[in-house]
Amino acid sequence: MNAHSHARYEALLKVTGQARFEGEIAPAGLLHATLIEAPIACGELVSVDAVEAPTRPGFATLVTHDDSASLKSSAATTLIRETAIHFHGQPVALVAASTLAEAHDAARAVRIATAARPAVTQMDQALGAAIAPEMVGRFPAATRRGDVATALGEAELVIRNRYSTQVNNHHPMEPHVVVCWWEGPKAVVHTSTQAIFATRATIAQAFDMPPRNIRVLARFLGGGFGCKGQLWWPWMFWAMLASRKTGRPVRLELSRAQMFTLVGRRQQTEQDLALGFANGRLTAITHDVVAQTSAHTDYSDSTAVYSRLLYACPNVSTTHRLVRTNEPQPVPMRAPGTAPGTFALESAMDEAAERLGLDPLDLRVKNFADHDQETGRPWSSNSLLSCYRVGAERFGWADRQKRKKRDGRWTIGFGMATTLYPAIRQACRARVRLNGDASLVVQCGTQDMGSGTYTALGQIAADALGIPMAKVTVELGDTWLPDGPFSGGSQVTASIFPAVQSATAQLRAMLASMAASDANGPLGGKTSDDLDFEGELIRSRSSNAAERLSDVLARTAPDGLVAEGESAATDHPKLAATGMGHGAVFVEIGVDSALGEIRVRRVCAAFAAGRILNPLLARSQYVGGLIGGIGMALHEQTLTDRATGCILGKSFADYLIPVHADMPEFDIAMIEEDDPHLPGSVKGIGMLGSAGIQAAIASAVHDAIGKRIRHLPIRIEDCLGPACDTAQR
Amino acid sequence: MTVTQPPSHDARERTPPRIALSLTINAMRYEIEISPSATLLDVIRDQLGLTGTKKGCDMGGCGACTVLVAGRRVVSCLALAASFDDAVVTTIEGVGTADHLHPLQAAFIRHDALQCGYCTSGQILSGIALLSENPGSIAEIREGMSGNLCRCGAHPSIVAAIAEVAGL
Repeated sequence: MNAHSHARYEALLKVTGQARFEGEIAPAGLLHATLIEAPIACGELVSVDAVEAPTRPGFATLVTHDDSASLKSSAATTLIRETAIHFHGQPVALVAASTLAEAHDAARAVRIATAARPAVTQMDQALGAAIAPEMVGRFPAATRRGDVATALGEAELVIRNRYSTQVNNHHPMEPHVVVCWWEGPKAVVHTSTQAIFATRATIAQAFDMPPRNIRVLARFLGGGFGCKGQLWWPWMFWAMLASRKTGRPVRLELSRAQMFTLVGRRQQTEQDLALGFANGRLTAITHDVVAQTSAHTDYSDSTAVYSRLLYACPNVSTTHRLVRTNEPQPVPMRAPGTAPGTFALESAMDEAAERLGLDPLDLRVKNFADHDQETGRPWSSNSLLSCYRVGAERFGWADRQKRKKRDGRWTIGFGMATTLYPAIRQACRARVRLNGDASLVVQCGTQDMGSGTYTALGQIAADALGIPMAKVTVELGDTWLPDGPFSGGSQVTASIFPAVQSATAQLRAMLASMAASDANGPLGGKTSDDLDFEGELIRSRSSNAAERLSDVLARTAPDGLVAEGESAATDHPKLAATGMGHGAVFVEIGVDSALGEIRVRRVCAAFAAGRILNPLLARSQYVGGLIGGIGMALHEQTLTDRATGCILGKSFADYLIPVHADMPEFDIAMIEEDDPHLPGSVKGIGMLGSAGIQAAIASAVHDAIGKRIRHLPIRIEDCLGPACDTAQR
Repeated sequence: MTVTQPPSHDARERTPPRIALSLTINAMRYEIEISPSATLLDVIRDQLGLTGTKKGCDMGGCGACTVLVAGRRVVSCLALAASFDDAVVTTIEGVGTADHLHPLQAAFIRHDALQCGYCTSGQILSGIALLSENPGSIAEIREGMSGNLCRCGAHPSIVAAIAEVAGL
């Protein structure tokens, strides 16, 4: 396999406006739906008075909890089957009409009566009622190794702080949307989801129908970042019920304001972290996380999990607790767990380095974990030390103190931190069809959120068969295709790779045998291990002989060849080695001495995540992740009104995200790894950029103004006042 | 919970008011009837089916719906369609085709200036209008493009593509 910066497969469609997103499917007779929201944060829906709504122009149907009684009970139907209200803005009914404006008008004519109960609208109102989950994702929530209390007692230095991170929202540019209809007993569902097969399975369960009668399509997705998953399903079901009631196609699209409440969020955390050191080495870590979850479903990021294994340390204790509030439900978001967790751990490491009189980089190198100390397994591969070295060189880390600390009104600071993310795979099937003209069709029922899955799928198959990308068609985002992985957890490329490789290996074997079996052909009598595939030719390695793929096919398989490949999910209990991608992030920031404004000026990051298939697209993933991390560090926070439980400022005017004017210079280094434990040495890369950088920025702010800021986002108000030493430095 | 609904309904056959509008979009003349409250985005995307123009927030906050009116950038979700009678509008479909790409579209592909593609139409239209304003520096491009949000994080490549076409 060769790394090659093929242009993005679907780029031409996207720059010409021809990529058809699922919400743009426009069947005849389409109805438009809107959701009616609860005006309270906690209580009960008492009644829905829809006497007047049907008289409004264009009104088509109303869907309420009564209609949901026909659905099977499951986690995905709880909110639409039970009339309890758990958060402000929770939908209580859906109205469909001929146009969206008419749907809004009819919805305003529906009278909702609710009975309110006292709501918990902030985490700090219910800290005493925190619960301890068993698991955080696939990890145990609480772990302990060694003797933490003794080690902290005997430590030469203890860094003990509380770190807090705010709620963030994903905000893909495309809001969640569904266009759905029924064809007799069959349902067709065009929707922006990161998981078409899970969506199909959940529809099958809720509507009690066979999966083969459901087709889910998501061929283009306008971003996702973790929010286009399960929280969308109840409202999608209501759209499907509206379609079933009316016999007409129905379209439901969330408003930007609903993207704050209905589709998930990065949970708020309060993290108590203590590090103990002796001789500059970590002797103890305690990391105790309290985080927000909703009143109706428990969810926890794996926030403290990475403190168990990032550094060598004999005594480690970690816990996670959850506080149930009447706020929206959290879900994974860009670098779930690692983003908030490394903010605490890496901020504390920077503080420790200062107290120990060590360079923060040297302290990390000194505490490098040469194996996974939590499981005792070796790393499948680990080039973190190379990331430190290469990143530091390219950034000029060693010389940073010689650089001037002022640039006009800007006070300059430097910081660095580590990032990591597990390399795991899902089960996957893929089909590769080689046509008689040696063009290729690659099919896999996964999705492309924008991460480059079209390109990766095509490229893996094209490279294996020596066919140019121009002759490759990629089909994904349709449950009529072989089952593919959901788009999350940086797993898609690693998951599709072995499945596509398996399919192309079968095709290569067939083609080699076809070419060799023709005694009069140029490759007659050659053995398959002598044959290579490149430039649309089958070539003998031992001689000059070659034959065009299209000639071999014309002679022996004019209708082409098809093969399916299959690959298994990571089998965690049986793993011989822990797979992990790593990175080191170095930043230069400036703080406006008078105004307190913080600007990231320069980011240099070195990442090691197996073999990179397409450096052009990989760089885009890394940079995009880093920008997401800058948003979490400096911009993004979702606040709840304590009195009403309403989310404050549900718009891009109030929820700040990084824009063009916020962009620093990026320098990305990609360190290639051979990994004997992972197929093709492929590790996921999507999450790596979005962790680590938050702590690097916080450390750089400290370097600039001498103030440790232990909460995110770091805003202007944190960088003003007497504690901020901007003038003298 | 109780739901009160009439046993059957007949939406009153009140014909909503419509007004006539003339638009030239991508050199094509449209004579249409629109709702008085329709936005230019509603008309372009839903009524005329030119779905290259995207709705990201419907509040003028993201720039995904950017179109050109007489060469100037307009967030079409904040533009009342009725006030654009006789306007000359360019959407992404009118910028270039697969066979004849606008230089900025070609630069977007070369620089990989997109991921999910949902903000791309707005970025390109905004970039084309910015180019006509002769930006003098990378900083001016960044400032001039800051009304167009991107969530995937393609910003540096977007600015690089515009800078290349601007000769910077």
